[in-house]
Amino acid sequence: MLGLGLASGAYLALRQPKKQQADLRLWTFAKPHGEAYMEALPAFQRKHPEVSVDIQIVAWEAVTSRLQAAFWSGLDVPDLVEVEISEAGSFFRGRLESIGFLDLTERIHQTGLWERVVRARFAPYTTRGRIFGVPHDVHPVMLAYRRDLIEKLRIDVDKIQTWDDFVEVGRRVTEPGKRFMMELPTAEASRLEAMLFQRDGGYFDPQGRCIIDNETAVQTMMAYVPMVAGRYRIGSDLGGGQIFTRALEDGYFLFMIAPDWRTKLIEQDVPKVGGRMALMPVPAVQPGGRRTTTWGGTMIGITRKSPNPDLAWELIMHLYFNKEDLAKRFRDTNILPPARDLWDHPAYDEPRPFWSTQPLGRLYANLAPDVPFQYTSPFISLAKAKMSEALIACVQYYNRYGDRGFEGFVRRQLKVSAEEVRRVMRRNPYVTE
Amino acid sequence: MSRSEARRKRWRGEKIAPYLFVAPFIVLFLVFGAYPLVKSVILSFYITNGPSDPVFVGAENYRFLLTDPNFWKAVRNTAVYAFWSLALQIPLGLGLAILLNSSWVRGRNFLRLAFFSPNLVGQVFVGVLFSVLFVPQYGLVNKALHATIGTPLDTRWLAEPHLVMPALVMTSLWMYVGFQMVYFLAGLQSVDKELYEAARIDGANNWQQFLNVTLPSIRHVLVFVVLVSTIGSFQLFELPWVMLGRGPGPDSAGLTIIMYLYLNGYVAGDLGYASAVGWTLALGLLVISLIQLRMSGVWGGRRAG
Repeated sequence: MLGLGLASGAYLALRQPKKQQADLRLWTFAKPHGEAYMEALPAFQRKHPEVSVDIQIVAWEAVTSRLQAAFWSGLDVPDLVEVEISEAGSFFRGRLESIGFLDLTERIHQTGLWERVVRARFAPYTTRGRIFGVPHDVHPVMLAYRRDLIEKLRIDVDKIQTWDDFVEVGRRVTEPGKRFMMELPTAEASRLEAMLFQRDGGYFDPQGRCIIDNETAVQTMMAYVPMVAGRYRIGSDLGGGQIFTRALEDGYFLFMIAPDWRTKLIEQDVPKVGGRMALMPVPAVQPGGRRTTTWGGTMIGITRKSPNPDLAWELIMHLYFNKEDLAKRFRDTNILPPARDLWDHPAYDEPRPFWSTQPLGRLYANLAPDVPFQYTSPFISLAKAKMSEALIACVQYYNRYGDRGFEGFVRRQLKVSAEEVRRVMRRNPYVTE
Repeated sequence: MSRSEARRKRWRGEKIAPYLFVAPFIVLFLVFGAYPLVKSVILSFYITNGPSDPVFVGAENYRFLLTDPNFWKAVRNTAVYAFWSLALQIPLGLGLAILLNSSWVRGRNFLRLAFFSPNLVGQVFVGVLFSVLFVPQYGLVNKALHATIGTPLDTRWLAEPHLVMPALVMTSLWMYVGFQMVYFLAGLQSVDKELYEAARIDGANNWQQFLNVTLPSIRHVLVFVVLVSTIGSFQLFELPWVMLGRGPGPDSAGLTIIMYLYLNGYVAGDLGYASAVGWTLALGLLVISLIQLRMSGVWGGRRAG
């Protein structure tokens, strides 16, 4: 029976007709991206009538875990893949020549992208000085707020120039359990991270060294924690999805961190607040300082196994740098493209009724050149987890003891977290070689 | 062919036949069972980038494992989960079984199905369901607790490290208590009714009957359920993974040993280290199971009653 099973299995496997595959296959985890690319495809195919292109929208988990597994085991992979910014580093764990993506450094310089694109956006897709992805976006950050409630509370947003100003107003209007100045989590570090980037801090330096215990990180933690802990906290969070929708409708949060991509989610998920929302630049750390930061991002990479890397590169250029397509895509997604020369299209100046007729595109484009660098590492997930752990510990400490001994505690906690990351990094025999 | 020759052939056939019958299992076991096991032992002495670029490191993976605070956090979380799950599930499952084994309860069959039915759906479904129930401000759990005992509406069960484990234990209680109940019901139904009669004649009250008749009679079932539940608890993965948004949760409060293994093997890509974690878990489970069997007297100790 076993023999019969093996024989019939082998027969079927050998007889299986070879699947007809497109010349170029692209995976994206974001449905809006996939839909936009499908719309942009006919123009590419008019230039290359002999080339077939297959754009597949794949679950986030598949992009990360299945693609990684396929790279490792030499299985069939698409020609092009979009990867979320926080996952990109995990593909850079091995030796440079073992990375599943093609090194695009030379192409980026030769085609002028290095000059056109906001420079900071290459950093998350760079390891050991080599660039493995083209950035899809800039994702500058503003603060979105309930304009109607802010006006009712007589808050003048123009007078909020720094985080100190913001906290001062927040303490006046926050009523714990009923209304908070801002949506700020205490158990995960995404907003803390945005504030860390604003101060030119981060998880790793350009050389890939862990820096979550440097002075910038300490100062950021010391500024963030009193906003979410203790008697005078002004921030809280409830979670995402439907609960966020409800909280925003109810006026539970007045302000929230809003990168360009999130404004579209707010428009789609909370239509009830349309016309009652507005945007303002992020308060600066010091007067005259940077009024933005960054949150989120996507890269596109060409897989090393792609038989058509030149064609794949042409498709990237078509999808990511075609001015007219990108202007339309901006209207659909609110996502600002990464090349500065694309932002002079009238689409970016259109007033948006949802955002109290503010020209959403221009507001973000004005801030985009100032978006901070964020460097990555194969250990980025671990560093993020350790930063979140440190945040939780600091919040617990502050709730218990307040300012007493807080600075020393923050320093010790971040040191412990950073040492844990470094300890794991020392084990990696590939990156240090 | 002579008669002796035919007999010899038949004898040879009879001798070979059993091997042929077990051959499919042996072959499949060797390919899909023994080979991966042996391979994982070998892998546990390497650092790898996925399955490629293995670098031999000797016992370094085991040394690192034993000094890794994250591993010990995973062990502690898993042990706490296992303890509370067993401490609540076993008595509750047994209580329900006794209740639904009583002739005076109406609609017993329906209730048995109702209590068992959460077990018919997978952990992923239950995880999604409970992550909605535990939502702060608007979730059913918070609303019910706020209405009954006045806890804050914005209690963040899945975002506060000290509340993550109670949330997981509550969820697993809902999911598995019916499963334990079914085993106990089967055990209770096999208890000889005459033993109760004899006990009653001797003047035993209900509690004494439970202690001296019911418990000793279902001891094997009890040991089995405790063993299976312990092993199941130590293999916990999907429930926290789904409830905590595909991760270990705040402060790694939902990090279990299997999740730790998964994160190292399939996210970080170090299959060698993940193999070391797997073997350490297997050895740990073996020791715990042997201790449980020994303490219950089923193995190596007192004879089962």
